[in-house]
Amino acid sequence: MSSWGVVGVIARREVLVKLRDKAFLGTTVFLLLLVTAATVIPVLLQQRTPELRVAAQGEAAVAASRLAADLGGAAGEEDADDGSEVRVELALLGRGGLPAAEVEVVAVDEQTDVARMVRGGDVDAAVVGESLEELRLLGGEGVPVEIELLVSAASGRLQVAAAAEEQGLDAADVAALTDPAPPTVVLLDALPSGSVPPELLVLAFAFLFYLSVLTFGMSIAQSVVEEKQSRVVELLVAAVPVRALLAGKVIGNTAMAVGQVAVIVGGGLVGAALAGQGPVVEQLLAASGWFVLFFVLGFVMLAGLWAVGGSLAARVEDLQSTTVVMQVLVILPFFAAIFAMDPGPTQRLLSYVPVTAPLLMPARVVLGNAEPWEPVVAALVVLGTAVALVLLAARLYEGSVLHTSGRLRVGQAWRHR
Amino acid sequence: MAQELTLAGVTRTFGDRTALDDVGFTVRPGRMTGFIGANGAGKTTAMRIVMGVLAPDSGEVTFDGRPLTLEVRRTFGYMPEERGLYPRMRVAEQLVHLGRVHGLGAQAARRRTHELLERLGLADRADDALQSLSLGNQQRVQVAAALVHDPVLLVLDEPFSGLDPIAVDAMAEHLRERSAAGVPVLFSSHQLELVERLCDDVVLLHQGRVLAAGEAGELRRRRAGRRLRLVVDPFPDERAPAAEGAPTGLAAFLEQVPGVSLHAHDGRTVVVDLAEDADDQALLAQAQAHGAVRELTPVVPTLAEIFREAVR
Repeated sequence: MSSWGVVGVIARREVLVKLRDKAFLGTTVFLLLLVTAATVIPVLLQQRTPELRVAAQGEAAVAASRLAADLGGAAGEEDADDGSEVRVELALLGRGGLPAAEVEVVAVDEQTDVARMVRGGDVDAAVVGESLEELRLLGGEGVPVEIELLVSAASGRLQVAAAAEEQGLDAADVAALTDPAPPTVVLLDALPSGSVPPELLVLAFAFLFYLSVLTFGMSIAQSVVEEKQSRVVELLVAAVPVRALLAGKVIGNTAMAVGQVAVIVGGGLVGAALAGQGPVVEQLLAASGWFVLFFVLGFVMLAGLWAVGGSLAARVEDLQSTTVVMQVLVILPFFAAIFAMDPGPTQRLLSYVPVTAPLLMPARVVLGNAEPWEPVVAALVVLGTAVALVLLAARLYEGSVLHTSGRLRVGQAWRHR
Repeated sequence: MAQELTLAGVTRTFGDRTALDDVGFTVRPGRMTGFIGANGAGKTTAMRIVMGVLAPDSGEVTFDGRPLTLEVRRTFGYMPEERGLYPRMRVAEQLVHLGRVHGLGAQAARRRTHELLERLGLADRADDALQSLSLGNQQRVQVAAALVHDPVLLVLDEPFSGLDPIAVDAMAEHLRERSAAGVPVLFSSHQLELVERLCDDVVLLHQGRVLAAGEAGELRRRRAGRRLRLVVDPFPDERAPAAEGAPTGLAAFLEQVPGVSLHAHDGRTVVVDLAEDADDQALLAQAQAHGAVRELTPVVPTLAEIFREAVR
């Protein structure tokens, strides 16, 4: 049997063990649900147009409220028509910067105690006033922002229209005044944008990478120390080159880690597709290419060292201390990725440092501040480091995996062959 | 198939302690070789060197006249001193995995696993996690792990330790079967009676050196030296004892034979050691004068006796 055949056999066992591991299955299902919920729920929330009731008392108040209701309805329709072109920040707002809302106007007479209606929750707010100049907006603890914006706009338009009419302008002039055409925005250095803020995407991927490397890294270390502690390793090294053993473990666990991430991201995509968010799916797919590549490279780069963390230990109890360096190597890049979210020299530098590159370089691609050649260079840097670290890991692993009587230091593992 | 395992001049040190010092012996095909020695004598180290788990400082291990490589070792069956299999893995999956690690194809590994579990009476536990089995059954799985790939050589470190007498017999049966099929078997044990019963050849290791190696019966005869057991029925008229406390009549006559010293006596049976130049025929003549000689045999020491004497 070729040594790759042996590597395959070893890797297969790692996969098999993982597939039987209830904790692994549980975590995967949990993350899958979490991600699906995280994609579907905001989409559902975002789609809903608020339904609001407003009490109107007085002639001007009724007129302003009715116009506000019309404006809110019109904004909602425009929003639905070309939602994909609306900037994320303005997703709530329709053309002309007005929020979409279904406003129901309840006209009440002078005797009605509107304050009581508002306090009682009968209506969300009340508009009171006989003249446009003296309109008052009554709210309980606050006035819903949609109502405030819509009523202000309606009141403004009615006043402009009244003033224009006094000046003798015709209906077309009045329309031009009250509903001016907004400028078309043209961005010279457009950042990629989508239905999901890119920062959120970066965070989500960073978190997945962090979680995946930490749990799978620990599981590689455990798998190694289990073989040491149970002495199976002595049977194995009599039949298999130590390096093949290491390679099988790294490959098997990498496959499972990538598979888990694929399932989770796939769950997110399916969720988004089911929620009818085509643009989100496209955005995720476009972003995931570099993330997946860097994920694999970053994972392999550290996987060998996790195995060394396991082989330096003699018992499972030693793992905490032998893998502490590894944990730091995973946690630091995670926080670096969060704190270096804003473009700048720090982010540029860290996106080339091997341990932070797997998070920050794809982040820069998604955030749109990386030249096309930059991820290629960073990928090569990570690949080179991965090769070096795997070779280092192989030597340390060879030097320590048969040493079963106590925990070792790195220096001892290096010297002992 | 004249495939034999040979160690020649194997030396290994750990720090300033010499675990093996110029060790050489041969494990022959179709024969069971017992590896005996006190704790710390170097048996496990020697076996680990054979299996490539440790490297010798100097010396050579060959199989079928060729130096050992991983490819060759993969065809060996090994039971390490410290038992070890994956505790949480299912029994059958574990054996299939180990079979494949040792170079079997998936089909063959499954077939062999099935056969072995059937033979070891573990077929109904095939899908249980190893750790849920009793220690004795775990030991049986360990045996299966050493046999699953139909090894051409067996190296077993203390295969009998921790087994009940019935399991010992079953294990012995297995080993004899493999051996009869032409497989050289090397196993270590502290149960010397068992080694005596099972082994064709013996290697006695003491403080890293081979004290004795070779065919077990020959070894015992060679170690027998000139100790003889004599059974005599004394003639009635010569029965009268001398003074109180003096040797009885049976023993007293021995003093008349030059170069004979009394080792033990029990009524009509005496055990004597002959000096290099002493004549056993003179002893016989004396004995016949003393009574009717029923038996005169060289005393062959047991392995246990040789062992104790050697390591003293």
